[in-house]
Amino acid sequence: MNTVGIPRSLFYYYYKDIWTDFFDSLKIKYIISPVTNKEIMDKGLKVSNSEMCLSLKNYLGHVDYLKDKCDYILVPRISNFKNNNQTCTNFWVVYDIVKNLFDVNLLHYNIDLEKGQTLKKGLYKIGKTLNKKHSQIKKAYKYAITREKKRLKKNHQISQNKLKVKKTKILIVGHPYNIYDELIGKDIIKYLIKNKIEIIYSDKFNPKITNHLSKEISKDLYFKYSKDNLGAIAYCQDHINGIIFISSFPCAPDSLANELAMRKINIPYLNLVIDDNSSFTGLETRLESFLDMLGGKLND
Amino acid sequence: MKDCYLGVDIGSISTKGVIIDDNNNIITKAYIWTEGNPTNAVKKLLELLKKDLPQNCQIKGIGTTGSARKLIGLMLKASVVKNEITAHAIGTLTFYPNIRTILEIGGQDSKIILIKNGIITNYAMNTLCAAGTGSFLSSQAKRLGIDVEEFGDYALKSKNPVKIAARCTVFAESDLVHKAQVGYPKEDIIAGLCKSVVLNYLNNVGKGKKISSPIIFQGGVSKNKGVVKYFKEILGADIIVDENSHLMGAIGIAVLAKKNKTGHTYSLEMKDLKFQTKAFECHRCPNTCELLKIYRNNELVDSWGSKCGKY
Repeated sequence: MNTVGIPRSLFYYYYKDIWTDFFDSLKIKYIISPVTNKEIMDKGLKVSNSEMCLSLKNYLGHVDYLKDKCDYILVPRISNFKNNNQTCTNFWVVYDIVKNLFDVNLLHYNIDLEKGQTLKKGLYKIGKTLNKKHSQIKKAYKYAITREKKRLKKNHQISQNKLKVKKTKILIVGHPYNIYDELIGKDIIKYLIKNKIEIIYSDKFNPKITNHLSKEISKDLYFKYSKDNLGAIAYCQDHINGIIFISSFPCAPDSLANELAMRKINIPYLNLVIDDNSSFTGLETRLESFLDMLGGKLND
Repeated sequence: MKDCYLGVDIGSISTKGVIIDDNNNIITKAYIWTEGNPTNAVKKLLELLKKDLPQNCQIKGIGTTGSARKLIGLMLKASVVKNEITAHAIGTLTFYPNIRTILEIGGQDSKIILIKNGIITNYAMNTLCAAGTGSFLSSQAKRLGIDVEEFGDYALKSKNPVKIAARCTVFAESDLVHKAQVGYPKEDIIAGLCKSVVLNYLNNVGKGKKISSPIIFQGGVSKNKGVVKYFKEILGADIIVDENSHLMGAIGIAVLAKKNKTGHTYSLEMKDLKFQTKAFECHRCPNTCELLKIYRNNELVDSWGSKCGKY
């Protein structure tokens, strides 16, 4: 029986539900690497090259954790979503990097809509590699996709409802693999929750809506995930008290998106760049003063 | 007895303390180097403050701010522990209620605070890079063999400041060495350095921010006349520098302590206090948190740094 390993980083945060639903339906065993801890991160730092971004280093740490615990590791290549919707170059090359660094079997598919390589084709390919019948795969794909559509709708609805809440609301903008990662963004989120802030996440909106809205901030954006992020800002701007932009060092698309956002919006804005030796003390100073500012309670 | 309030601002380079009364008048003030040991610096600071404190004063509140605020807060049993941005804003607004922009360059960090109608509307702090802060200036002063206090006077003498790369300290430093070796006069190099600090600040911290008058300039570097001159020149606006500009954080936190009175009277007797910290690494899980345990007179008062909350 084949076991598939899923690194809990990068793509995982975009595709986790589709993948797990798909594998569940096909009765394929899979393991997911644990939430990032120091050991995983250190491993990632060790095997990686100095120019990679923190998130990619982290990803390699997760792959390293899985390398002798499963038969295949799932590493797709996500390249573009058509109509000037590129992904970050790291998403293009991570398959090659993993292949070069580790001696493991990789489960692989491409998403390149300009060449007609869709998610559907990708998942079919994976099903076939794991010796499943066409009819089974078809069923599993349908199951995963319908559930994903429902989830997307539900998340969008929840976010919309959050915008109406009468608490101090902060939009967290960033890539999900940074925001939700235990070592990269979790401390920031925890701090905000402790201070009773209503948190709205930029990735919990329907990208079909937000992607388009990013034009309000800039018409020349190139990266899909930047468009989604800035679109979420445009969508929420009038209903929230502040924005916190979290990125990992040195993220190239974010450096652009961040500068744009900083100049184009009129509400309080905080940019936090996380690198591998950030201690929380520096972040805390910035977060604390940011919350002071939002509360306007200078004179208590 | 007169009620008064102590504010302590413990920065990376210098430690500042003020004692104010109910009308925000400064009774005593002190300014010393931190020298990498915040607890010792604060002990010294308290001795200095106590010397000038009239007999009829009693401390009714203590506030701490600056990067060592938590540690010193524990040591002094402070009633308020607040970040330096809020403290600076409050301190400044106490004396200049109409201020719109606060520029601040300290030892390790630099920030800009925008204020409208007495409320902070936006701020920024330097991120990963400490270029153009006070510690950069002091290390360059050492390289040029002059006191950092004389920097401003030298810079004012110059008619032709040399151009120094303003983006990054590493480049600025190699530029500086190069210019010195080629034979530029000292004052021109120093003036160039001051100008590069201003450009660096406006590029890194002030980017995308609308700087409107009245503008006040604070932090240790505001004592440098050269930097003030180039801020005026480049922004094309008047810059206010208060004589207590380096104490604004401490004043702000003292004002906050005044507003958060507990009724308790504090003692400034810290000379014999045993205040220790012990660092160790926890190996209970793969996170290997670096923990810091803090003892006050051999009694464990707090521990920091654990991710799971076990300590």
